Amino acid sequence: MTDHKTKVEKVPTKYVEMGGRWLTSNIIKDEVDPTCHPLGPNNKLVFAPGIVTGTTAPSSGRLSVGGKSPLTGGIKEANAGTPFSQMLAKLDVKAMIFEGKPADDKFWVVKLDKDGVSFESADDYLGKGLYEAYPLAFDKYGKKVGIAGIGVSGEMLMTNAGVCFNDIDNRPSRYAGRGGLGAVMGSKGIKFIVLDDKGTQPVKIKDRDLFNAGRKKLTDGITSNDFTKKGGMLNSLGTAALVNVINEAGGLPTYNFREGRFKGAAAISGEAIAEAVKERGGAGMTGHPCHPGCLIQCSNVYPKPDGTEHVSCIEYESTWAFGANCGIDDLDDIAEMVWQCNDYGLDTIEGGGAIAVAMEGGLASFGDGKKAIALMKEIKKGTPLGRALGCGAETIGKILGVHRIPGVKGQNMPAYEPRAIKGIGITYATSPMGADHTSGYTIAPEIAGVTGKLDPLDPDKRNVSKAFQDLTAFVDASGYCLFVTFATMENSEAFQGLVDTCNAVLGTSWTDEEVVKIGGKIIETERAFNFEAGFTEKDDRLPEFMKYEKLPPHNHVFDVPDEELDKVHG
Amino acid sequence: MDKHISTPSPFFNTMIEIHLYGLLRKYATQKSPLKESVLYLETGGDESIQSIVNRLEIPPEELGPTLFLNGEYSGIDRRVKDGDRIGLFPPNMILAYRQYFKKVEE
Repeated sequence: MTDHKTKVEKVPTKYVEMGGRWLTSNIIKDEVDPTCHPLGPNNKLVFAPGIVTGTTAPSSGRLSVGGKSPLTGGIKEANAGTPFSQMLAKLDVKAMIFEGKPADDKFWVVKLDKDGVSFESADDYLGKGLYEAYPLAFDKYGKKVGIAGIGVSGEMLMTNAGVCFNDIDNRPSRYAGRGGLGAVMGSKGIKFIVLDDKGTQPVKIKDRDLFNAGRKKLTDGITSNDFTKKGGMLNSLGTAALVNVINEAGGLPTYNFREGRFKGAAAISGEAIAEAVKERGGAGMTGHPCHPGCLIQCSNVYPKPDGTEHVSCIEYESTWAFGANCGIDDLDDIAEMVWQCNDYGLDTIEGGGAIAVAMEGGLASFGDGKKAIALMKEIKKGTPLGRALGCGAETIGKILGVHRIPGVKGQNMPAYEPRAIKGIGITYATSPMGADHTSGYTIAPEIAGVTGKLDPLDPDKRNVSKAFQDLTAFVDASGYCLFVTFATMENSEAFQGLVDTCNAVLGTSWTDEEVVKIGGKIIETERAFNFEAGFTEKDDRLPEFMKYEKLPPHNHVFDVPDEELDKVHG
Repeated sequence: MDKHISTPSPFFNTMIEIHLYGLLRKYATQKSPLKESVLYLETGGDESIQSIVNRLEIPPEELGPTLFLNGEYSGIDRRVKDGDRIGLFPPNMILAYRQYFKKVEE
């Protein structure tokens, strides 16, 4: 972006089979100096659709965004489900790589269609909320384009700025949220990336028969699993159905990770969201898809009391981040803060984490939703307080003298308490991404070779954590939504379908074991980058307070020995 | 459901509390999903979660695989005692990340 030069390159042989996170992490490892400043000219920002993205494979409309993270200082991959991913795949683009940095502070719209790349001024969109700016851009470029963008938080280079993508109704609501990649995009002077896939051909598939057979196996798995089927948990109640389940398990972080159960959990749950949709009617809906071709359709549109749209989507992590974690039990207040995150361009997990830590530091009382909304507004205004909040939980915590900062590698934990669910604590500690729940998702244990005890309070969880991190890394490369793994966890045929569709697109013949190994190599690549960036095993730790503060109701500390954490990745 | 005491009793630590979710809330007096739907029951001696479920007359098809006893992911044959907390979920509400949870059967 230094001088608006563009170059179309043939895919080098070593990258031909890669997609999604596999590709973004390899390009970052190969091309970015790990010691560079994340917001300086030597960082790069990479967008890559998954291996099967853009095909008719079910729930496969995801893409990865990669770079060096200004939040963690390490490598970052964040992904999102959006029609934008499918357009990028149809444009036959394996990866878009943004380099350099403009000498001035201008922002640009980068437009890509089948004829090439062009640059236009983004002046019309600057300083505006994305709920205002996205419709303006769709008016200009047409309703059928895809748009990736940053909000005011990205323009101001805040380290909790995410990369926003449009959903199927062109809302600015689907985020590659974590790790501040929106600030990297801002540092390169990019406000919007507009894709137009008019006149493109379908994504090429090398073995159509294998693809169709694999697609059917995975589809059958998804449509028969209680999590993922039509009318199943995710479709009828959304991811927020987990609020009551994890709360009952004593693992819902509450009041900035002081307790594991929230007395207001029911009021912020998926059941409560579904009830509001039913009672208020109007624009409200459950079962909303983030991209065309999703069979799971786990998102929602949350209505205001008068039935008009408030926000899409209130996820489990979002309702927790601004709910239980802040002691807030009012869904309308939570909806407003999720809307603010979408409007300002912020990740909700880190956003809620920052507000909870600010409450810990005395800027508001736990449970005060109105004050929390007012604090969020500071971010849009770009006041010094707003900038601190927009840089995430660790930054605001340092400023306020808070010791209870629940992060790893500078990234706030999501909605599963590691003292109650120790296996996930190991994943938080040892993921190259910082504290990240999506780093250790569920794939059939027998495929992962996982055996033995699986007691959530048992510290001997490292093998489980390693296996699931590896498998997750491969799913992040495939373009499939991680939620398909709920189906593949219990159905090895469905997992075979996942692997076969990848093989069919690429002409490979990977086995189950080989894709696990590929996942392991992705993590190795990411850890090598982090090592060269200066990370040591001391960074693979949970915050100290979790080792001595007992978490009710189980009254456990995090007691996995450091040497066990160090053995996870060998 | 008059046979169940549905509000906290002063003797509740000699009782067990049963938290009901989703479609199972209909067995409690407080049925709104915006609040807790809780039943308080006296245990009848050496009892399992299954026998509690039977006493509540919850048909098997309405009960899912996700059960908790005092916050532990549990099998239905676990024994309960006074002061325990049970959480019952319908088939469409399931525990994610089950790989991290060992089901306590006894």
